[in-house]
Amino acid sequence: MTENSMPPADHLANPPQPALRLHRELTRVWSNAPGIRGVFTAVNHSTIGLRFMCTALIFFGIGGLLAMLIRTQLATRKGAFLDTEIYNQIFTMHGSIMMFLFAIPMLEGLAMYLLPKMLGTRDMAFPRLSAFGYWCYLFGGLILIGALLMGVAPRDGWFMYTPLSGSTYSPGINADVWLLGVTFVEISALAAAVEITVTILRMRAPGMKLTQMPLFAWYILGAAVMMLAGFPPLILGSVLLEIERAFGWPFFDPERGGDPLLWQHLFWLFGHPEVYIIFLPAAGILSTVIPVLSRTRILGYGAIVASILGLVFLSFGLWVHHMFAVGIPHMALAFFSAASLLVAVPTAVQVFAWIGTMWKGRPQLKLPMLYILGFFFTFVMGGLTGVMLAIVPFNWQAHDTAFVTAHLHYVLIGGFVFPMMAGLAYWLPMISGRRRIKGLGELAFWTILVGFHGTFFIMHLTGLVGMPRRIDVYPDHPEWEMLNLVSSVFSFVMTFGFALFALDCILQAWLGKHARRDPWKAPTLDWAMALPPPAYNFASLPRPDMTGSEYAGGAEVALTLARGEGVLPGAPRGHREVLVTGIGHASPQHVAILPANTALPIQFAASIGVFVLMMLFGLYYVALAALLPVLWFAWRWARALVPAGSVPPVEIAPGLQLPTHYDSAATLTGSGLACFLFANGTFFASLIFGLAFITLVSPGPAPPPLEGQAAVSAMLIAGGLLAAALASLVPGRALKEVSEAGSPLRLIAFGLAANLAALAALAGLAIWQLGDPRVHAQTAVRAALLGYVALQLFITAIFAAFALDQARRGELAAGHLGALRHWNLWQGYTLAIGAISAAVIWAQVLSQ
Amino acid sequence: MKGRGLLWLGLVALGPAIWAAAFTLVYALHGAGCAAGWAGIDAGPVSLHRLLMLLGWLAGITAGGWLLLRLPAGKDRETWLPRAGALIGLFATLFTLVPVLFASSC
Amino acid sequence: MMSILKRMAAVSVPLFAAQACAAPLSTLDPAGPSAEAIAWLWWVFLAGAGGLTLFVMALLALSFGAPRAVSERRWTWGLGVWFSLAILSAMLVAGVAVGERLLPRDTALEVRAHAQQWSWTFTHPGPDGTVIETGRDLHIPAGQPVDVRITSADVIHSFWVPRLAGKMDAIPGRENVLRLQAASPGIYEGRCAEFCGIGYATHRFRVIAHDPADWPASVPAQAEEAPE
Repeated sequence: MTENSMPPADHLANPPQPALRLHRELTRVWSNAPGIRGVFTAVNHSTIGLRFMCTALIFFGIGGLLAMLIRTQLATRKGAFLDTEIYNQIFTMHGSIMMFLFAIPMLEGLAMYLLPKMLGTRDMAFPRLSAFGYWCYLFGGLILIGALLMGVAPRDGWFMYTPLSGSTYSPGINADVWLLGVTFVEISALAAAVEITVTILRMRAPGMKLTQMPLFAWYILGAAVMMLAGFPPLILGSVLLEIERAFGWPFFDPERGGDPLLWQHLFWLFGHPEVYIIFLPAAGILSTVIPVLSRTRILGYGAIVASILGLVFLSFGLWVHHMFAVGIPHMALAFFSAASLLVAVPTAVQVFAWIGTMWKGRPQLKLPMLYILGFFFTFVMGGLTGVMLAIVPFNWQAHDTAFVTAHLHYVLIGGFVFPMMAGLAYWLPMISGRRRIKGLGELAFWTILVGFHGTFFIMHLTGLVGMPRRIDVYPDHPEWEMLNLVSSVFSFVMTFGFALFALDCILQAWLGKHARRDPWKAPTLDWAMALPPPAYNFASLPRPDMTGSEYAGGAEVALTLARGEGVLPGAPRGHREVLVTGIGHASPQHVAILPANTALPIQFAASIGVFVLMMLFGLYYVALAALLPVLWFAWRWARALVPAGSVPPVEIAPGLQLPTHYDSAATLTGSGLACFLFANGTFFASLIFGLAFITLVSPGPAPPPLEGQAAVSAMLIAGGLLAAALASLVPGRALKEVSEAGSPLRLIAFGLAANLAALAALAGLAIWQLGDPRVHAQTAVRAALLGYVALQLFITAIFAAFALDQARRGELAAGHLGALRHWNLWQGYTLAIGAISAAVIWAQVLSQ
Repeated sequence: MKGRGLLWLGLVALGPAIWAAAFTLVYALHGAGCAAGWAGIDAGPVSLHRLLMLLGWLAGITAGGWLLLRLPAGKDRETWLPRAGALIGLFATLFTLVPVLFASSC
Repeated sequence: MMSILKRMAAVSVPLFAAQACAAPLSTLDPAGPSAEAIAWLWWVFLAGAGGLTLFVMALLALSFGAPRAVSERRWTWGLGVWFSLAILSAMLVAGVAVGERLLPRDTALEVRAHAQQWSWTFTHPGPDGTVIETGRDLHIPAGQPVDVRITSADVIHSFWVPRLAGKMDAIPGRENVLRLQAASPGIYEGRCAEFCGIGYATHRFRVIAHDPADWPASVPAQAEEAPE
């Protein structure tokens, strides 16, 4: 990654222009389409971010209502309020909604809304992807809620342990709703993770070094990288379990060589990092708000970045502490126990850095600060019970009791909900452009705090005296009744508090007086704009001398930028232009022209939704056909990236011309593809882990003798690899030839043919040499691996076909190489995983 | 960090990555050893199983220590953060795998 | 509802807590060495956690006031790293030490617990060298270690007798071993502790510990199993 040298700050200044004219010009280019069309075609980050947050809050309300039903049922011993089947659906949905439909989308929405403003740019890196993610989230969520209303919601607990969630013990579509619905929602998490990573690394205002960017961005970067690594194991697990349920491949069936513990490993390999994915953005809010409300700067910026680094890595070494009672040898438990303890150190560093910041400054007891105090009080206790649960013997007693329920609510409400509410109280004047109504917010805070601790503090004791989680009645345990009744009563107090909070937000947006600019006197750029923010955020982008300064959010900076005295002023060319900068020092590299309003995201998401529904109803052949529209929209998505003609360079400041992204090598799309391949690689690594686990660790019957002939298999594998290797030479050569001799039509056609040949070899392997994957888990996981490689080859072939189409249209020219570069990247990845898969399968066969 | 943003980020993550590698290696050795019965084979004062895990642990500590020694010291964040990463990696390797010394293996 | 509220008012909280601790499934009313060791851990943790919470809250309360000069090193390294690490290291050592003590070592009497939706099948010695299978009660001798071999026929369950020991999952395809010891003869409640479907709430059992002098003669034959 080469970086151009950084021009001095005054070279990036533009002459002032009338602010109103700039505003009109930019609004015309950046705003959403009016009326109902805007609902379906908006891609703007503020709009999509708000949609994410509002939808997440509605799901929070639904999840909360379910919690009220649970508490009502448990208030008395023989609660006859719900029958067991419905009760099981309700607690499963409560957990699933809060995790997948509230917490993750909420943080995605907040990050999408704030990041471009804090980093000093006009949108996220991939606006269409933001919108696409939102629609996937909404449709997936609606599938889950629809199932709940129809009484066929998942009922096996939010971690869906097999065999209980397998087809034998969970017939019907309940479990499929979870597996398919949640996976559909997770598409949005991956999309958000990719674009957040790219936005933070490549779209910061010029001169905003990584080591000086707002801590919030560091936290979100950490969370996004964790999502790239953490969600693939869950998606893999869900795909495997769905294949087991739909087609009988026995990955998790112990009678056919599978292993229920594989599900637990894959689930918690996601599930524990997930807790920190949720916590990091919340901690980012705290690191932003605490210094501002203490009228000082953060204590220990470097130490906090190091803590984030530690959390990002360490949280991937704790997952087994959810599995202390499954019979794993004590030494392995001790490793994970130690890692679970150690992860408390970076957390402690942050807590003490925050308190030290408050010592350093003069804390003001404004509403966000109240929520921050609520956070400290709650999260410290939750953290301490977490440390207790990391101790193996104690965990053997407390595991799966109400103690764990209490602990996880202390951590999630303390460590996520309270900071989020502090953040909402802090940023609502920006979002709504209005001041809050005094008193109501404080009342809501105290009601929630009292309700929360009244509900959950005593629940620790309920667990220690033996009440397991997830039971609906306890007729023979009068000693639990009082404890439960107290929890139930206070839970209604807490609900009342959340209702007050919602009322406060609505009243503020509706009746509040107009907020003045920069109400908190913040040192971050998110406040250097009018309230509520215009669609384009900044009329001109901040210069190096403005980022990180004491009054970056102040009126003076805002005015300078509004008059176009920053970088890349206005939208004189009628495009949505942003500046792309280098990773380290954010030196300007090129100008990216972002896509405008389009309905493609909702169409693409809807086509995937049709596929998911067909899978859900067991119409597998129809589902296969439903993939065609998906492909069609993906193709159109990529076609929209091709420029209509040549685009001249853009002057971002007097005398400083930068090329557009069409004529640049290191594009945002390239970075995004690299991020996606990282997630794809984690998925592949999880699959290899699954294969090794089933082959080496699972008990159960020996696999059947291999089918087919070794020589034929070897020939097919070698042939396939050779074809893939030949194909991988093509895009690189084509890149060279385009620059020298124009469109290499024949070369690209050869690349496509070679990929198709490799795919044919794979098909031959699957048909003649593999054996029936329904017989044994080892065969099944081998087939899954073949299927994965085939999918990558297929995608590579699509890339090749796309390049061929471009060559045919004569679009490939020296400057415009996008598709070829991306094909090159994907082709290399495919060859690598193909070779690794061949080696792994060979080793697996040898071990038999 | 002279125009090398991605490399610098990689350097910051190198320390914890060493921990991740050592942790994975020792955990895999533990699983493989229990499956293959290495715990029953003597190798001097300890079993072959524990010996292999000890070697894995020491390899991780050595790599982490080597990285820490190679990185320049300095107060500015660009110099300090890679060193902090190395410290995190070294310390996490020491702390999380210390049960190799005394916990029962299978 | 009113009667419950009246009862609530009548019982003072500490008395109520003490009563609750002595419940049939209470981990805080240990009746064997394993559960006792863990209960001890809990009380120590509780004291420590209480102290730490007060400490942090005090620091927080003191932060309100005039700005002060603070040393970054003291807060991040001193409190954040070294202080927390000292506590965590002690906890790791204690945790692993207690864990090692609870593992099944040497040989012990072996009994079997086989879980299914939603009942148990226990296999243990009976009078006169017979082997007895029961559906609700697991009979063991008091005062000596017993290894329970835990298996499952269908989904994942968990074998848990809180007053005697921690829990151990019953996983189809695998066999797990849990060491139990009852200090004195008596009836100890147990239950499934991993969500296992529609009958989960009532998936319970009992462990009956007999006087070792009468063991296994005092174990009733299947037909005579004591009524609920």
